[in-house]
Amino acid sequence: MSQPVIVAENLRKEFGRVVALRGVSFQVEAGAFFTIFGRNGAGKSTLLSIISGMASATDGNIRVFGEDPAERTHRHKLSVISHESFLYDNLTALENLSFYGKLYQVADLNDRMHDVLHQVGLHHRRFDLVRTFSRGMVQRLTIARAILHNPDLFLLDEPFTGLDQHATEMLIGLMEALKSQGKTILLTTHDLQIGLRLSSRFMILERQRVVETGSVEGLTEEMLRRKYFSLISSGEAGQ
Amino acid sequence: MTKPYKSQSFYVLAGLLLVLIPVSLYMIFQWVPPIKASNPTEATAQRIFYYHVASAWIGFFAFFIVFLGSVLYLWKKERRWENMAVASAEIGTLFMTIVLVTGPIWAKPTWGIWWTWDARLTSSLVLWLIYVAYLFLRRYLPDGTRRANLSAVVGIIGFIDVPLVWFSIRWWETQHPSAVVAGGDGSLAPEMLKTLLFCVGIFTILYLLLMQRRMQIARLEDSINRHYKEWETLS
Amino acid sequence: MSVIWAIIRKDFQMEFRTKESITAMWIFSLLIFVIFNFTFEISRLLLLQISGGLLWVAFIFSGMLGLNRSFQVEKENGNLRGLSLTPADPGLIYFGKFLSTTFFMLIFEALIFPLFIIFYDIQLSLVTLWIIPISILGTLGFTSLGTILSAVAIHTKQQQILLSLLLWPLITPIIIWAVKTTGDVLSGELSAAFQPVMVRMLVFDVIFTTISYLLFEYVVQE
Repeated sequence: MSQPVIVAENLRKEFGRVVALRGVSFQVEAGAFFTIFGRNGAGKSTLLSIISGMASATDGNIRVFGEDPAERTHRHKLSVISHESFLYDNLTALENLSFYGKLYQVADLNDRMHDVLHQVGLHHRRFDLVRTFSRGMVQRLTIARAILHNPDLFLLDEPFTGLDQHATEMLIGLMEALKSQGKTILLTTHDLQIGLRLSSRFMILERQRVVETGSVEGLTEEMLRRKYFSLISSGEAGQ
Repeated sequence: MTKPYKSQSFYVLAGLLLVLIPVSLYMIFQWVPPIKASNPTEATAQRIFYYHVASAWIGFFAFFIVFLGSVLYLWKKERRWENMAVASAEIGTLFMTIVLVTGPIWAKPTWGIWWTWDARLTSSLVLWLIYVAYLFLRRYLPDGTRRANLSAVVGIIGFIDVPLVWFSIRWWETQHPSAVVAGGDGSLAPEMLKTLLFCVGIFTILYLLLMQRRMQIARLEDSINRHYKEWETLS
Repeated sequence: MSVIWAIIRKDFQMEFRTKESITAMWIFSLLIFVIFNFTFEISRLLLLQISGGLLWVAFIFSGMLGLNRSFQVEKENGNLRGLSLTPADPGLIYFGKFLSTTFFMLIFEALIFPLFIIFYDIQLSLVTLWIIPISILGTLGFTSLGTILSAVAIHTKQQQILLSLLLWPLITPIIIWAVKTTGDVLSGELSAAFQPVMVRMLVFDVIFTTISYLLFEYVVQE
């Protein structure tokens, strides 16, 4: 557990007029809950794309589980949860899981599917189409899909967008459970309260640069809020 | 960075064209003897042939450069290759448009019709449509690596399709004996050939000049936007 | 291989639940036949000459519906991104989508062809069986490019119009060859050009399936 899961050194992503990252360095230790705060366009999504191997950096070094994410060898250890579910509305809950399970080549898929469906409390609805699900149920199935292949690293890209209070609490509960299982979690959000409640370390991105990084120990929400707003530009901040 | 708006190559190319374009016009309208035609209008209209063919040549060449830029971009992921492909696609489409406009101008007095589904005209039209679609794709996407990737993919597929379109349409025409046209007997008088090659030459220079300008504009746009962002960061 | 199979299976599960794609394509073709009947009043002799074209107009216009539908489901919940985030090779994802859209189109073609025969009183003979390899080769040509270009187009808001703009000019060769060979078959007499044209269609299919397989990675990159 000594080797950090994510090591980023001076990551830059520039393309023509688009500057998405201007030299970002940070490390995420195994088992850490690491939160990246920042406004839209601060570079959070680009960073997660690079970590997941969907995009490549123009310059700098990135290692995830000690390997270059562009090689896609780390994909089975990784799971992405965003505000999009990646689920098919016209498939049943079980069919959706079975499909993703095959793409991830999950061993003992059948047992595993029933297992995760029980975990998220959807086992009784496993033969129902996703399009008949409520938002909260879709969210729970998304979680089932994300934990199906038992990944070690979770990338949570603004997962609270569009969730109601209940679904938000449910997602927070899941993250706490994952944290206690020793999973590494990287969360991007602009919600300071939730981020502070969950994370062990945090980083603030502003205008494609890291402006602050540290431990949440001894940090109150008020302190974080003041720090955050002093670092990001005034007035237009905090959507 | 050097001052990108002052470049020697621009003045050299522009100077060459300033001299050579009038020469080409002299060759086309004075030096080349008129073709044997049933009426004088047809003989005059035929003189558009030199610019028409030269434009078609530049069109094809430009589309090849789109392909080359697309391949290099996917390999190197550098902005300049994307810029090269896009610049060439725009210029190629422009020259193909010239082909499609001058074709009917020539066709009307010669064959008595503006348009015929002749293999060359039809292929030119289909190629034009392919690259217009390429430019449309770019309009529909915001700037960034995704747009660069997607347009490179289309730039590659499009060019590989060019010979297939060309040969399939030629073959299709032979299946339709009713189709008009015998467009000359194919052999060119020595003066005609020389004039044609000369026109192809100056159109190539024109292409290079336009490419150089267009890529410079792209570079300038990028650098202005970047300076603006830097300034925004500092403020 | 399991990736390709999983995608095909998933698409078939959805299709046989909703029957949206194949039914829509079928009805649309039927509409084309009906409208054609009113827009062109032609003699039986002329009809025989152009029936190959009519059949492919129906196949390809309806095929556009199928393609759009096939990629609409991959866009709805960010599914294409979800697929690309799995360890699966993007080339295999391409093959899965390519084969499933091809199968849908072939099923729809098999269902509309009998109707075409009835409507236009096509004389059947052993030669008519050649329509099967022609349909397969023509459809593969259409879907090989259609699949990758659909994946390109879904990144824009104008997905459907853009797909048409991109795909139509590129598949001109396939349209030309498929119409010609189909015309031969429907007239009951194969011309000398039949065999070489079939080979050309096969070459087109192989070229663009290979190219698309290689390029699909760049289509899903961010």
